[in-house]
Amino acid sequence: MIVVEDLLVKLGGFKLEIPRLAIERGEYMVVMGPSGVGKTVFLETLLGIHRPLRGRIIVDGRDVTYEPPEKRGFTIIPQDYGLFPHMSVYDNIAYGLRVRGYGREEIDRRVRWIAGILEIKHLLDRKPRSLSGGEKQRVALARALVIDPEILLLDEPLSNLDPRLRLSARELLKQLHRRLGFTAIHVTHDLSEAIDLGNRIAYIHNGRLYGVYARNEFLETIYSKPYIEYVRPLIEILLREKRSSVPPSP
Amino acid sequence: MPKKIVGVEKFLLTLSIAGSLLVFFLLSPVIALFISIDPDTLSQTLYRDPVLANEFRRALLVTLEASVLSTSILLVLGIPLAYILARKRFWGREFIESLIDVPLMIPHAVAGVMVLVAYGRRGLLGPITSWLGLAVDDSFWGIVATMAFVSAPIMIDTLKMGFRNIDPMLEYIGRSLGASPYKVFQTITLPLALRSILSGAILSWARALSEVGAILIVAYYPKSINVLVIEWFSTYGIRYAVSISLVLALLSLAVFTLLRLVVEK
Repeated sequence: MIVVEDLLVKLGGFKLEIPRLAIERGEYMVVMGPSGVGKTVFLETLLGIHRPLRGRIIVDGRDVTYEPPEKRGFTIIPQDYGLFPHMSVYDNIAYGLRVRGYGREEIDRRVRWIAGILEIKHLLDRKPRSLSGGEKQRVALARALVIDPEILLLDEPLSNLDPRLRLSARELLKQLHRRLGFTAIHVTHDLSEAIDLGNRIAYIHNGRLYGVYARNEFLETIYSKPYIEYVRPLIEILLREKRSSVPPSP
Repeated sequence: MPKKIVGVEKFLLTLSIAGSLLVFFLLSPVIALFISIDPDTLSQTLYRDPVLANEFRRALLVTLEASVLSTSILLVLGIPLAYILARKRFWGREFIESLIDVPLMIPHAVAGVMVLVAYGRRGLLGPITSWLGLAVDDSFWGIVATMAFVSAPIMIDTLKMGFRNIDPMLEYIGRSLGASPYKVFQTITLPLALRSILSGAILSWARALSEVGAILIVAYYPKSINVLVIEWFSTYGIRYAVSISLVLALLSLAVFTLLRLVVEK
């Protein structure tokens, strides 16, 4: 279980406050909110880039608030996927295994296993610059998942894809989550993405966590909140769709 | 549409004319140097006169050894410094950055005086440098120290730009995958900065190779090639200076072209 308690991060004039957020093992938590409200700062703080002024980050009872990134158990996929441009796809995926001291054969077996799951076996010899956006995303997922991370942090991972690919990438994320059972914290400003993917949805606005909602109750609960203005028209559409899909009671 | 293309071509033509003027200005001395060569004097300095040829060879060797050594020292010590300056914000960083650029702003002779009063036998750190056998007055180490002092800003600034161009998130990703900061530096940062490292080495080596004013003050002996050019110019006349200059120009051109080809790759 990951627990974030009473977290306060200050960056210049910007302030991020997370009173409490608890994420269960295997849960797919979506952190949603408009652009510039602190979602990425939250992920970067979990990763260990920013030092909080107060508060605690606890992973399975272990306080990792001031641990270095390599000892926290979080692995990140940033918005631009962050592939190492000087390495082949194979070496990108193998990186985490190599630094953890796995043997050559075990590395090869694991890289090919995850490449098979993500259908990127044919890309293993390529360099990242020759890949499309969708391919880069799959490689980044493979690199993160091959080490069996404790928690996967995803920073707007679908925003660089065209709308058609975005839908199939959502399906891929759902499928991978079902199959591998990792814990994910997925940041997005996209309401439909949040509802489609999240077991629960945490809503951040103006640098503050306002609440955590179950997927089913999210639309109804936040509809009346003043801080949701930027997606209100979309919420109305989604609520209409939801109501019309419910069969009338006999 | 065709009008637009003509407009662009005219624009590029104007730029090309202005650029060609500069290329002409830079190329003329190189061509003039080749034309001014007296084959008889050249052969005399290269092999026919054993005294001159020996002096020339020794000076060339001293210069090459000192410049390669100063560049290597700057690489070993400059990479950590440039990385810290590129990545960390700390009190006094701007002061250190300005300090590194001092040799760029001062006359070369002044740089020589500064090296001498710091590291010369009677200088501020003279007792230490003398004890270590590294006193700079009229010594090989004086040439190395002077070359390093004047070329350090070029090396550090080039490396700093290189490190700044690497997205720090790549390093955090490496660490989040389990690598220590040292491993990340070795496997991600350094390979990504390789082009800047090579550029910094080429440029600072070139700066070291071209230094004469400061070396004249710190270490006239052992004679380096630039000091020899001045000496032969004032003792034997321009024909002899031209001979050394030609060898030096050809050598620099060959090495630079080769290294640039490597960097471009």
